[in-house]
Amino acid sequence: MTKRSLKILLCLATFGCLSTTGMAQGQAPGSPPAAAASVPVTSTDFKTTPTDRTHGDPDGSLTGTATDITVSSADAGLTIADVLNQIGANKIGINFAWTLLCGFLIMFMQAGFAVVETGLTRAKNANHTMMMNFMVYGVGMGAYYLIGFALQMGGAGAVANLGGSPVLNAEHTMHLFGKDFGLWGNTGYLLMHHGTYDVAVMVIFLFQMVFMDTALTIVTGTAAERWKYTAFVVSSFVMGAFTYPIFANWAWGGGWLAMLGANFGLGHGYSDFAGSGVVHSVGAVTALALGIMIGPRIGKFDRQGKPRAIPGHDLTWVLTGCFILAFGWFGFNPGSTLALSGNGGLRAASVAVNTMLAGMTGSFGAILYMWIRYGKPDASMTGNGFLAGLVAITAPCGFVNPIASCFIGLVAGVLVCLSVEFLDRFMRVDDPVGAVSVHGANGLWGVISVGLFADGKSNYGGSWNGVPGAVTGLFYGDGGQLVAQLIGVSTLLGFVFVMSFVVNILIDVVVGQRVSARTELEGLDIPEMGAVCYPDFVLKTED
Amino acid sequence: MAALGLAITFLGFVLSVASLGLSSSNSTRLVIVLVGIVVSLGGIIGVINPAYQKNALWKK
Repeated sequence: MTKRSLKILLCLATFGCLSTTGMAQGQAPGSPPAAAASVPVTSTDFKTTPTDRTHGDPDGSLTGTATDITVSSADAGLTIADVLNQIGANKIGINFAWTLLCGFLIMFMQAGFAVVETGLTRAKNANHTMMMNFMVYGVGMGAYYLIGFALQMGGAGAVANLGGSPVLNAEHTMHLFGKDFGLWGNTGYLLMHHGTYDVAVMVIFLFQMVFMDTALTIVTGTAAERWKYTAFVVSSFVMGAFTYPIFANWAWGGGWLAMLGANFGLGHGYSDFAGSGVVHSVGAVTALALGIMIGPRIGKFDRQGKPRAIPGHDLTWVLTGCFILAFGWFGFNPGSTLALSGNGGLRAASVAVNTMLAGMTGSFGAILYMWIRYGKPDASMTGNGFLAGLVAITAPCGFVNPIASCFIGLVAGVLVCLSVEFLDRFMRVDDPVGAVSVHGANGLWGVISVGLFADGKSNYGGSWNGVPGAVTGLFYGDGGQLVAQLIGVSTLLGFVFVMSFVVNILIDVVVGQRVSARTELEGLDIPEMGAVCYPDFVLKTED
Repeated sequence: MAALGLAITFLGFVLSVASLGLSSSNSTRLVIVLVGIVVSLGGIIGVINPAYQKNALWKK
């Protein structure tokens, strides 16, 4: 046996004892001590170090051995520190890979939104609608890179699952009621500011950026078929730079909503696992503000105010887009664990199942409502019910059990239908794709449902938002959590809506929000974009 | 009218935040926050939207 092999054996035997001790602490009382500690590590425990790989390794038995561990000093050979560092690097590597891949999935949701919205609008506006959904990605990312990320995450502190980088450490606060209220972060501009040129920060940026873009693209659906493209660009930039990041800081960046538990004893503070409130409701209340401001499409209501259906031009795209979105949701919700290794990372499995169950019951809720009420299983509303279930489970997915997920989704499926009718018949707000109902009504329902159904069984490192224990809702004994969630709802309605409204009024004054009636009747593709989406088709123009 | 509606909507938010300082009882806070939400919804649905509907396109 060589000197290097002896060192390896010694190191691993020592590490084996250490890690066994660590595992024993986590075992249930009364379970037998691990027998592995008394088993000596021998050279037969190692895979044969391959000396001749000229024939490859078809069964994988020679690949991945102790020789693959990076040695810090060639003279010292493999040390216990090398082994421990490799384990740490593997843990963070697993979590980086998971979070990045989930971020890539979420990015693809932009394609889902694009085809859902375009399918639900008329062919004469297809180029315009697609181009809004296409450019919202770049416009939003630019705004977020320049300003938004620093405001949202600049004071978030270290994320342990991603290596605990401590550079996001500047939160602007206000003192109120004897406590510090975190309002916005102040580091991370351009990802270079104050040491934020950091691999963990890059992962956080990518993951948070795609969330932000999801919120922005909700607005384009409600304002479709009449929104001036210039206004869309300016409005989306402001939302990506300020509106979204401010609320996201309050909820996810260590701001005052997240600290309602630690500061005021309200459960675990405002808890929104993957963004029913932060992403979907912020997008939807902004969409509602715009929908009210720019008014309905020509022909949507008759002179008595009775709504008329304006069918979209491609249901195939609509339902295909719903599936693309549901696929992306597996990045959205399970990815929000930010880990597969450590601090509750394995809970991602439960989050994924909760997500798919709520989508299923959401589609059932909507199809049954439409079938019973109108005699037909409406396709677009069934798709919207599917999305509504997914939106609603987004906040509670990490805190509830599968049965609660089914119920939350079922309610969402019915709620989206009721909300569409309410907007159409009572408020007379024209929302061509139902975005306010899908993302707003159900985003708020999702936020509230955390305060009702969180079962206290989740464990993300022993605490949440600085409060020990698991998030627990009213039905499981913690009424304070419901109050925290409702304060979040109130903030979305009373602050985010007002901020969005004021911003868009200013944009209306400067560049104008709505296209001319002539442009709208002709279709926005030629006047706004210079080309139609389907040049070989003969399109119908309204008088 | 729209400006008044915005003020009312914002007032609902202020009420909810104020509940944190007005009481240490979660039940009392719950009531105040619910009132805040109703006030904000009233501002949006009852004031801002009607203000914009007054000159709605479909009425012309």
